[in-house]
Amino acid sequence: MAYVRKDAGTLTAVERLRFVKALLEVKRRGEYDEFVRMHLAYYSSDGERGLRTAHMAPSFLPWHRRFLLDLEDALRRVDSAVTIPYWDWTRDRTTTSALWTADFLGGDGRRSDQQVMTGPFAYGQGNWTIEVGMTDGGFLTRDLGRRRDPIELPTTSDLEQALEDPVYDAGPWDSTVTRGFRNKLEGWSTGWGSPSWRNHNRVHRWVGGAMLGAASVNDPVFWLHHAFVDLQWYRWQRRHGGGARYLPAEPPGRGDEQYRRIVARHEKLPPWDVTPDELEDIGRIYRYA
Amino acid sequence: MVVPIGSAPVGAEDAVPRPAPPGPAGRTRRDVARGLRAGALAGVLAPVLAAFRSPRPGPAETDPSGDTASAFERTYRGRRIRGVWVPGRTTAEDGRWHVTVDGRPLHLMRRADGGWLSTVDHYFSHPTPLEAVYAAVDTLGPGERLSDAASEPGGAGHAHGEGRHGVRA
Repeated sequence: MAYVRKDAGTLTAVERLRFVKALLEVKRRGEYDEFVRMHLAYYSSDGERGLRTAHMAPSFLPWHRRFLLDLEDALRRVDSAVTIPYWDWTRDRTTTSALWTADFLGGDGRRSDQQVMTGPFAYGQGNWTIEVGMTDGGFLTRDLGRRRDPIELPTTSDLEQALEDPVYDAGPWDSTVTRGFRNKLEGWSTGWGSPSWRNHNRVHRWVGGAMLGAASVNDPVFWLHHAFVDLQWYRWQRRHGGGARYLPAEPPGRGDEQYRRIVARHEKLPPWDVTPDELEDIGRIYRYA
Repeated sequence: MVVPIGSAPVGAEDAVPRPAPPGPAGRTRRDVARGLRAGALAGVLAPVLAAFRSPRPGPAETDPSGDTASAFERTYRGRRIRGVWVPGRTTAEDGRWHVTVDGRPLHLMRRADGGWLSTVDHYFSHPTPLEAVYAAVDTLGPGERLSDAASEPGGAGHAHGEGRHGVRA
């Protein structure tokens, strides 16, 4: 039977505790850092050669869907009642929202070095040392809202701009495409600076610290953020009906700039033995409350 | 490809990555002396052009003209930044920026629109390599140093070294 992913803002104290305990156990077992390494390994940019799977590509959504399922499996091996909650950042928008409490994800980083000092993932607690990070501090960092030059989280209307696009993705299937649900949700756009940071990308910036880098998985909020991104894919499918399918359906041809650089609907999505087509319908695995 | 010091940059255009690095109008070729002045990695310098738009003012700049360069060296917010363009050794290999912050390597990537991003500031791109490095430094806390992981390109589907092209399941 399908399990339920809940809004993080609605979890009971017990649900919060069990989610946190499962995460700490997955970390203690050494499994968590494999997720960090994998995300790091699969970040390839679209101005470089080679296959892109996790970012700047149509498979941004199925790649992260499968990535979350793998983490969820690891959590559920520890505690079968646990699922990944989602962070509705259109609603829980402040540094004092239900996420950033000492019994859940902990608070903001301190001003001096952005080190998270409260909650179960604070370095001082001894259970969450960053093994694979972009810096050598070993502690989790955040800069919620970016103190030095504040920015806001994306709004419902920002999200709506992505959701209303009936096309999943379009050529050239990268970070420069201005059409399509996928890139509007992933959040790459033209121009530079704050206005160009949209939806998914903008949330990484708002959290700051570890979430800015290729090892963003080190902050547990990564999973809650991506569960909400995943929920948008489901919502988009529901809104646009049965024709709203993953694109491209077929691989780009030999003469195409994107030849062998993206994953088409029925191609295997590395590193897994699964296709985007097989990841489009998750109804039998989980649903969102 | 190693271009002898003082020679014309023959073949340099071939090594310019696709898409070419963005630049201001009227970018000009410079000889390798600029790169040599930067000091680091002189042995692999070549005069491939990469442009810098209006670098932010910073203390102790050693490259004051700084609008077009194949290398840079700066102090920014107390951090020593060095960068040098390393061309691909074959036509099948892209060139890349070799960048260090306080001596620690920082991996830079190109975006298809010509922008640049680093492993430290990974969800946002910047008009020039130098600005991408500044953005990375902006994220560092006082005394915080880059780790070994910050120098690593994504291994899967990424193509900096031989044998990594077209990685595909």
